[in-house]
Amino acid sequence: MRKLAEKILSMDRRAIYLLMASAALLPFLTGPLGLPSRVSPEVKAVYDRIESLPEGSPFLISMDFDPASKPELYPMAEALVRHAFRKNLRVIGMNLWVTGSGMAEKILSDVAEEYGKKYGRDYVYLGWAPGATNVILGLGQDIYKTYPRDYYGNETSGMPVLEGVRTLKDIPFMVDLAAGDPGIETWVVYGKAKSMAGGCTAVIAPGMYAFLNSGQLVGLIGGMRGAAEYEALLKEMGKATVGMDIQSTTHVLILGLILLSNFAFFATRRRR
Amino acid sequence: MSPELLGAWVAAGLTLAIFSFLYKDNPFFKFGEHLYIGISVGYSITLLVFNFMIPKWWTPLFREGRMSLLVPTVLGLLIWTRFFPRFSWLSRWAFAFVVGFGAGIAIPRTISNFIFRQVESTAVPLVSRGQQGVSFGWGDFSNFLIAFGVLSVLTYFFFSVEHKGPIRPLARAGVLFLMVSFGASFGYTVMARVSLLFGRMYDLVEYSSRGYGYATLVLLGLMVAVFLAQALSKKREGG
Repeated sequence: MRKLAEKILSMDRRAIYLLMASAALLPFLTGPLGLPSRVSPEVKAVYDRIESLPEGSPFLISMDFDPASKPELYPMAEALVRHAFRKNLRVIGMNLWVTGSGMAEKILSDVAEEYGKKYGRDYVYLGWAPGATNVILGLGQDIYKTYPRDYYGNETSGMPVLEGVRTLKDIPFMVDLAAGDPGIETWVVYGKAKSMAGGCTAVIAPGMYAFLNSGQLVGLIGGMRGAAEYEALLKEMGKATVGMDIQSTTHVLILGLILLSNFAFFATRRRR
Repeated sequence: MSPELLGAWVAAGLTLAIFSFLYKDNPFFKFGEHLYIGISVGYSITLLVFNFMIPKWWTPLFREGRMSLLVPTVLGLLIWTRFFPRFSWLSRWAFAFVVGFGAGIAIPRTISNFIFRQVESTAVPLVSRGQQGVSFGWGDFSNFLIAFGVLSVLTYFFFSVEHKGPIRPLARAGVLFLMVSFGASFGYTVMARVSLLFGRMYDLVEYSSRGYGYATLVLLGLMVAVFLAQALSKKREGG
C-alpha cells in the first residue's frame, strides 16, 4: 500500500498529461455524453436583453480577444451575432485587440452569410484602431470621426447600417467579449452604450461579477460554460456545447487525481 | 494542395509542435514559439501601418494638408529623443501630455466606476420592508453576505490594529471569504485552460480525418519517430 502511495506521489508529470489528453479525447470517441446543464440567470439576462430589442435596433459587439482565447470566445461571439441576426438587429462589430481583428471579421462575415445578411445594410465591421481608451472615448463623441473608414476601407458615413447612430448613446445595447485588458473594465470605465453586457474568458469571469452586482453590466457570459448556455438558449448545438463534455471528463479526472494524491500523501505521512 | 488543406497541415503541425513541450523542450517547440511571436508582431505592425497610420495620419497630413495633425506628430517624435541623451529632456513634454491627459481622464472615471459604484452596490438594505412589515429573505441574506464579506476582508487587511480580541474572528472570517474567492478563481482558471485544450483537440481530431490527408496522425507519427531516433542515438552515445 505504502509503495503504491509513493509511486502515485512520484508519478511522472507526462503520465498526467497523457491522462488529460485521453480524457479530452474521450467525448470525441463516445459521442455526446448528454449531461444535463442549467442556464444561469446572468446568461439568460443577456439573451433576454437582445430579445427585448425592437427589430432594426443597432447592436454593438466589441470582440476584444485574439486567437489565444478562441475556444471560449469564438463560439460566444458566433452565438451572439446569430441571435442578433435572427432578431434582425443592425450589427456593428469592432475590436480592440489587434491580433484578433481578422478573426472578428471572420465571425461576422461567416454568420452574416449564413443568414443572408448584406454588408453595409445589415452589419458593419469597423475593425481595430490603436489606443483602446481613446477609441472608446472617441466613440462616445463621434463614431464617424473615430472610424471614418471600416475594416475594408469603405467610408462609414452614409452607411445604412449606421443610420441614426452618431455616438455610443445611440446604441441601446452592446456586448463586450473580452479576454483581458482592454476589455469589459475599459468599456465600463470609459464609456458604454445605454446598457451593456459582458462575455469573457473563465479566468477573468470571477472579477466581473462585481460589475454585474452593481448593475454596470446587465448580464455576463463566463467562459465556455456561458457560451454553451447561450447556445442552449438559441437551441443550437455549437462548439461550446461539444466542449462541455470535455470539461466534464477532464474535471472528473482532475478531481480524481486531487483525491488520489491527497490520499497517497496522507497514507505515506501516517507510515512515517 | 488547396489553401484549406495547407492551412490544416500548418495548424496541426504547429499545434503538435507547441504541445511537444509537454514531453521536453525541443526544436519543434522552439520553431513554433518563434514563429508565433514573429507572426503576431508582423501582423500587428502591418495592421497598424495600413489600417491606421496611412489612412488616419499620412493621408490627412501629407495629401489633404490637415496641419493640426502636426501637433501629435511632433509630440510623438519627441518621445524618440529618449535615445539621444543630449535631447532626451524633450521627451518629457510628450510624456507630460500623455500622463496629464491619461490621469485627467482616468482618475475621476475610475473612482466613480470602481469605487463609488461598488460601495453603492455593497451598502444596500439588509432587510426588506413591505406592506407586511420587515422581512428577511434570500435576497437580503445575499446582501448581508456581500456586506459582511467586504467588511471582514477589509478588516483582515487593516494592519493598524492588532488582530486580537473581537477583531480576530472578523479577520479570520475575512480569510475564509478570500479562500472561497481564490477557490472560485482557480476553478474558473482550470475551466479556461481545459477550454483551450478542447479548442486544439477539436482541430487536431478534425485534421486527422481522410479529407485533410490524416494531417494530425502523419505529423504526430513523424514527431514521435524523431524523438525516438533522438532517444536511441543518445542511448548509444551513453552506452
